[in-house]
Amino acid sequence: MAEKPRLKLPSEAKKGDVIQIKTLIPHIMESGQRKDKEGKVIPRKIINTFVCEFNGKPVFTANLEPAIAANPYIQFSAKVDESGTFKFSWKDDDGTVTTAESKITVA
Amino acid sequence: MTLGRILTAGVAAAVVVVAGFALQANDPAVAKDKKAKAAKVVVPLDTKGDASVRPWKRYDRWPTRDMAKYNTLAHLASPPAPKEPRKLPEGLTGDPAKGAKLVADRSRGGSCLACHVMGPAGGANLPGNVAPDLSEIGKAGRDDDYLFNYINDARVYNAETVMPPWGSHGLFNDQEIMDMVAFLKTLTKPAVFKTELDDPNKRPAPVEKRDNLDPLENPGMWAVEKAQAMWKQAGANGKSCNTCHSNPTAQFKTWAASMPKWEPRLNKVLGVEEFITRHARATMGTEWLMETDDNRAMSVYLHFLANGTPMQVDTTSPGAKAAIARGEKLSHRKIGQLNMACSDCHGIVANHWIRGQWLGEPKGQLDHFPTWRTSLQTVWDIRQRFQWCSVNIRGDELPPDAKEYGDLELYLASLNQGQKLSVPGIRH
Repeated sequence: MAEKPRLKLPSEAKKGDVIQIKTLIPHIMESGQRKDKEGKVIPRKIINTFVCEFNGKPVFTANLEPAIAANPYIQFSAKVDESGTFKFSWKDDDGTVTTAESKITVA
Repeated sequence: MTLGRILTAGVAAAVVVVAGFALQANDPAVAKDKKAKAAKVVVPLDTKGDASVRPWKRYDRWPTRDMAKYNTLAHLASPPAPKEPRKLPEGLTGDPAKGAKLVADRSRGGSCLACHVMGPAGGANLPGNVAPDLSEIGKAGRDDDYLFNYINDARVYNAETVMPPWGSHGLFNDQEIMDMVAFLKTLTKPAVFKTELDDPNKRPAPVEKRDNLDPLENPGMWAVEKAQAMWKQAGANGKSCNTCHSNPTAQFKTWAASMPKWEPRLNKVLGVEEFITRHARATMGTEWLMETDDNRAMSVYLHFLANGTPMQVDTTSPGAKAAIARGEKLSHRKIGQLNMACSDCHGIVANHWIRGQWLGEPKGQLDHFPTWRTSLQTVWDIRQRFQWCSVNIRGDELPPDAKEYGDLELYLASLNQGQKLSVPGIRH
């Protein structure tokens, strides 16, 4: 449903580093508060959950509410102690899940 | 300048070989020397159809006013300016309380606060400074006749005025103007602002610092990927852009910086967006009408490929010269119910605040188009920007491929020579 998410995080780091992770997903984030020209409410349709896992363990999760604007940008930091894969997922109100991943080598 | 193929099949246009140098596709001197006179290449263009939807329909969310009674860039319709001030209407007394509401009423094409600081009017909420501060006009010794006529039609006192003719153009009736005059006469103290930002004379000019080429910062950059995919899509006749242009990164390094350009086959100036429509139609049978998402994405991409290149449009050929002269004239034409010209906001009163928006000079107004607009979550090209300027001052817009817009765009480009492209832009 959503377009391709965008990620910005390092592909290499030293053990114990705290890295910045930036994510952006194109999504209309229709709040459910707007009305169309005829006065009918445009139904809500948002990304309601964002999850980041590293090597299968949860790192960061967020519940998004309708106040979040279109194309939600979520930035957070994570401490890396080993090499592995970050997996990101965004869940839409309609149940569809968009995923992305990024590998990191930790020396 | 590497297009060496002249497509003879499926091209509706009459292909005219422009007099000039014979094209030597393998001649390195011609191919490499960009500064030398361009080898005259025949680029296929559809010359029969329109480049945008017909009939042109205004955007859904834009005001639905029909302003056919007032000038547009394509036709003259506005009533002539009065030559004499009017006598104050008999038997009307102004109510300052009503006047206070009227001067702050944004639904009437202003409000007055768009241009004037006006004491407590409108809560002194982000007024503009295009025009004099009227906070103490009640002490200025102006009589009612003068104030009435200034609001009704300032042209009787100043032929060069930027102020809309609020009465002559039917925005306010006589009673309402009297009410506003009555309010103005109560203004005797400087405005008190809630914050320093509300004071237009202390408000700092906006500076765009965002990284417009970072896809995480500027959703406009996603158009680049979309266009790269479009590049390989086969059109109705099986060809894609890639068929002839297999290395866009190298081949279009400077092209967009030479646009817009006078096109003799169409007798008008073509901008990138219209070029895309007509070229895609002629070469691939693909319809990428102006102001569709596809067209805008392709325009973003073609400009993006030339980022960093200083704009250098042809201003010396006879066609270009004439177009620029017409464009300059058009920039001085008063249009719309608010009776404003491009050169009013972006010339006479440039570098001032109109309400909370900064009016920029022409220089620097083109190098970032097409631009992402954060307030609208969409990309605008320059023709849409022209259209909105017209509608915003209560005039009718033209279709995006109107020849008048082409003249205006080339004139604007001539004022931006040397500006380096940085597309997509990012703006409010």
